[in-house]
Amino acid sequence: MNKVANYIKSLFLWELILGLKLTGRYFFAKKITVQYPEEKTPLSPRFRGLHALRRYPNGEERCIACKLCEAVCPAVAITIESEQRADGTRRTTRYDIDLFKCIYCGFCEESCPVDSIVETRIFEYHFEKRGDNVMTKDKLLEIGDRYEKQIAADRAQDAPFR
Amino acid sequence: MVNIEIDGKPLQVDDGKMLIEAADEAGIPIPRFCYHKKLSIAANCRMCLVEVEKAAKPLPACATPVTDGMRVYTRSAKALTAQKGVMEFLLINHPLDCPICDQGGECELQEVAMGYGSDVSRYQEKKRVVKDKNIGPLISTDMTRCIHCTRCVRFGQEIAGLMELGATGRGEHMEIGTYIEQSLVSEMSGNVIDLCPVGALTSKPFRFSARAWEMSQRDSIAPHDSIGSNLHLHVRDGQVMRVVPRENEAINEVWISDRDRYSYTGLNSEERLQAPRIKQKGAWQETDWQTALDFTVQNLRKAIAGHGAQQTGALSAPHCTLEEMYLLQKLLRGLGSQNLDHRLRQNDFSPQTPQYPWLGQGLAQLEKLDAVLLIGSNVRKEQPIGAHRLRKAALRGAEVMLINPVDYDFNFPAGEKIIIAPDAMVSALAGVARALCELDKAANKTHLDALAQVAVSSIHRTMASRLKSADNAGLLLGSSALAHPRLGALHTLAKLITRLSGARLGYLPQASNSVGGWLAGMLPDRDARGKSVSQPGLNARAMLEQGLKSYVLLNMEPEFDCANPAAALRNLNAAECVVTLTPYVTSQMESYADVLLPVTPFSETPGTFVNAEGRWQEFNAAVRPLGEARPTWKVLRVLGNLFELPGFDYVSAQEISHELRALAPDLATAGNGGDSATLPQLDNHGQTQGLMRIGHVPIHSIDNIVRRASALQQTADAEQACIRLNAAEAGRHGLMDGASARVSQDEAEARLTVRVDARVPDGAALIAAGVPGSETLGASFGAVNVERLA
Amino acid sequence: MNAVPMNIAAKPLAELISAEALAEIDRWIAKYPPEQKQSAVIQALHIVQDQHGWLNNERMDAVAEYLGMPKIAVYEVATFYTMFNLKPCGRHTIAVCTNISCMLRGSDVIVSHLEKKLGIRLGQTTADGKFTIKEVECLAACGGAPMFQIGKTYYENLTPQRVDEILDKLK
Repeated sequence: MNKVANYIKSLFLWELILGLKLTGRYFFAKKITVQYPEEKTPLSPRFRGLHALRRYPNGEERCIACKLCEAVCPAVAITIESEQRADGTRRTTRYDIDLFKCIYCGFCEESCPVDSIVETRIFEYHFEKRGDNVMTKDKLLEIGDRYEKQIAADRAQDAPFR
Repeated sequence: MVNIEIDGKPLQVDDGKMLIEAADEAGIPIPRFCYHKKLSIAANCRMCLVEVEKAAKPLPACATPVTDGMRVYTRSAKALTAQKGVMEFLLINHPLDCPICDQGGECELQEVAMGYGSDVSRYQEKKRVVKDKNIGPLISTDMTRCIHCTRCVRFGQEIAGLMELGATGRGEHMEIGTYIEQSLVSEMSGNVIDLCPVGALTSKPFRFSARAWEMSQRDSIAPHDSIGSNLHLHVRDGQVMRVVPRENEAINEVWISDRDRYSYTGLNSEERLQAPRIKQKGAWQETDWQTALDFTVQNLRKAIAGHGAQQTGALSAPHCTLEEMYLLQKLLRGLGSQNLDHRLRQNDFSPQTPQYPWLGQGLAQLEKLDAVLLIGSNVRKEQPIGAHRLRKAALRGAEVMLINPVDYDFNFPAGEKIIIAPDAMVSALAGVARALCELDKAANKTHLDALAQVAVSSIHRTMASRLKSADNAGLLLGSSALAHPRLGALHTLAKLITRLSGARLGYLPQASNSVGGWLAGMLPDRDARGKSVSQPGLNARAMLEQGLKSYVLLNMEPEFDCANPAAALRNLNAAECVVTLTPYVTSQMESYADVLLPVTPFSETPGTFVNAEGRWQEFNAAVRPLGEARPTWKVLRVLGNLFELPGFDYVSAQEISHELRALAPDLATAGNGGDSATLPQLDNHGQTQGLMRIGHVPIHSIDNIVRRASALQQTADAEQACIRLNAAEAGRHGLMDGASARVSQDEAEARLTVRVDARVPDGAALIAAGVPGSETLGASFGAVNVERLA
Repeated sequence: MNAVPMNIAAKPLAELISAEALAEIDRWIAKYPPEQKQSAVIQALHIVQDQHGWLNNERMDAVAEYLGMPKIAVYEVATFYTMFNLKPCGRHTIAVCTNISCMLRGSDVIVSHLEKKLGIRLGQTTADGKFTIKEVECLAACGGAPMFQIGKTYYENLTPQRVDEILDKLK
């Protein structure tokens, strides 16, 4: 009996029809392919992309050179040098992140007592020259300045869970 | 001995000990803030509360003496609750600004809070804020962080002997500070930084420059005085970031002087020489080592061929390492010259001078003395740790007597003192000697005759009887005695006094390796075996005053390091060839030298220092040499090879010191030497013509590193060149405070500001050596003429 | 060595402490063993304060020197006790008790009356330098509460009218 059923199924290409049924379902279904870069997927406020150094609303840089991020960095990607600024506050003279070393774990952000070093939503960037991979303090502050609104909104959204 | 039990561990403890000491010995941790083993017990932080069986409440372990059968629980529920409660109270007014605090990462409060505190704070109210005080260039304050343990206050009272910090106000308004705005002046003040368990007192030069976890800790030896305090150099990125003490009970205990702590600020000064330089046709050019060494060898060979080896001499600073001095003398002796010396500040080289001026006893023995006679010593500023030992003796009841050219301020109570112009110090000492003879006239007939002309006063008699009656008496000669133009006479009289009184004779040499210089054979008349050489060469003074054709200078700046800078500069400028091995370059060097070879300061070379008590202390390089600089021993070794001398095949500095160790005589058996049966001639015809100069070296001018230490040069102890006279002497010369005067010694002269200073005796003028402004003058202890300038 | 010029001394002792005051201090010093001279510091500060009305740094320094104490040790004592005035105060110091007995008997009224009458707040001094008012803890005269102390005299059972009478009598 079984033999007869199998013979008939194969004669009418039953399995092919089954396969084409699936194809047909997806052929008419709503498409989910994202047309990057014209289209982009949504990002979580916790997304860990390129770093930035933030400032306070009055323009003062947040970083106080406590060096906790440098100490916690598992890839040893952060290099900080510090001094006493003329007004007596503790400030960095150098804040470098080597993006070749960085593993984007977000520990730096988590260790920061003043929410200065953050990881932004930026993930599309490239380097054209040797040495560009090292993000200096100026570059990091510039990113922070440019995206402050987004960064602040992300922190606010995540605040209840911290 | 009593039997106690801590946490179930049975212990045998000495009677009278506190619980915390017993626990520390047994390695049982008890948290504490105010307790420190070197300070008195305050019991005000209450952190060390422990449960004692049968006691109603937890007791402070630091102030509870052990009793027999005591059972103590440091981790019981009661003890832990008490500790947690205290911790919570301590943190109420603590700002918790650890991220910007220099103490972060090495903070006792952080550690104890982690171990014994609660994880969240219940405190919602306002915190106390205390205004910061400026207490000088060495220590920065953040008094809001203070937890009032009063360790710094007790340090001032008990150790420094100068109470500068105090607790003013009461209760919540209590503040630690100086009350009126003023700088700390103690030469040991930096120790409060180590004592402070929080970040209230931190190092100002180090401020915000590194974190505790970034630095590695290297052992070293302090290079600025003959104590040889043990140090830790904290190093980051090939740079010494700060210096802290390394505990050594036999030497510095747990303290170091500010000079040893902050001199690192001079290590990488702008003046560091970073590549060899040679002078060709009057112009300096930077070059490589090969060229510079070839040039050196060629020039020295030419000078020796032209004028004979007797016209070549080598001088080394007394803070060079043993290896460096040993190799330098080996090199020069290999070249046929005996003109070698490290005694740059010595004025008298007569045969009666001491042969091995060392302490004659262990440093720890100083505190056991019952009577001390200090001769020509400002021990407090010259060897601060030595002064601390003497202070302990004095507080125990010892009589510290003085024969000094300046009425120096000491941090211990001084007994009888004779403050007298340097030329009269010999007769003062002779007075004490005669007074001692008079105690037993029959036995000392010959001495009495020899000292017949000496006047004896009651003060001499008191000193004599004190020395004689003490069980443990000591005579200590300091650097003003060692630089004294009649050192031989002082030494002979001191030896006589020690024979008559049973006191022990000791010297407090000035530099870190003064004693080592004698052992390394860096002397014109004795080699490294301590044997006299058949044809002695010239000593430092003769070399620089008579003039030679060529010189090798090691790690020194003649204008500041020599007894007679004017003559030294004159003759160095006249010499044909001057080879200078130096870590720093000065404009003077550029004028007299022909080759400048960059060598390293103590932090960048391995070496050995022999301290005042004769202890050999080896140390290693803490950081890489700066630029092209190289350790001196390597440079001298290669020079030996280039001159094709035998025995220059060392592969390490240790090899050199081990070779020397086998040769060098034992200080304990060698004694001080300089025995002379005949007593010195005592001229009673009063003073020299004009004034007698006291050319002492101020604390922060002692060597080339300290002179460049920016932090130390901002302190009150950093001196400017000036002439100090007492009011009577100033009046006699028609001078007023602040006036400007022309000071001359033979051809040498300088223009100096007059300061009226009651500490200077009649007939003397205090003009410091080693400071800019006095380098144009002559002998550090010699006659000077003073004229008023309009 | 100290680079602070040695010859610039503070004012001579006699200008800071009068001969009578010194004699009085000596009387106190004599009560203690010679090596414990500093035991007289509180009395000495009181005596000097009585002479001048208040203590400035110069006067405390003079006491320190006279008793052979570190200056900071004298500052510690003087700042610890509230009865030492470290700022200039009026000829009459009115010390109003505000502890429980006085409070229950109306010391609040006395304080506000004083403040209004003199135009100053607690701890302040009138512009003419006549009065200083300050708040103190219990002066052990609860039986006559509310009370205040002017100089060394206690005034008890105060009412605003009585306060006016007392103040008017004072010069």
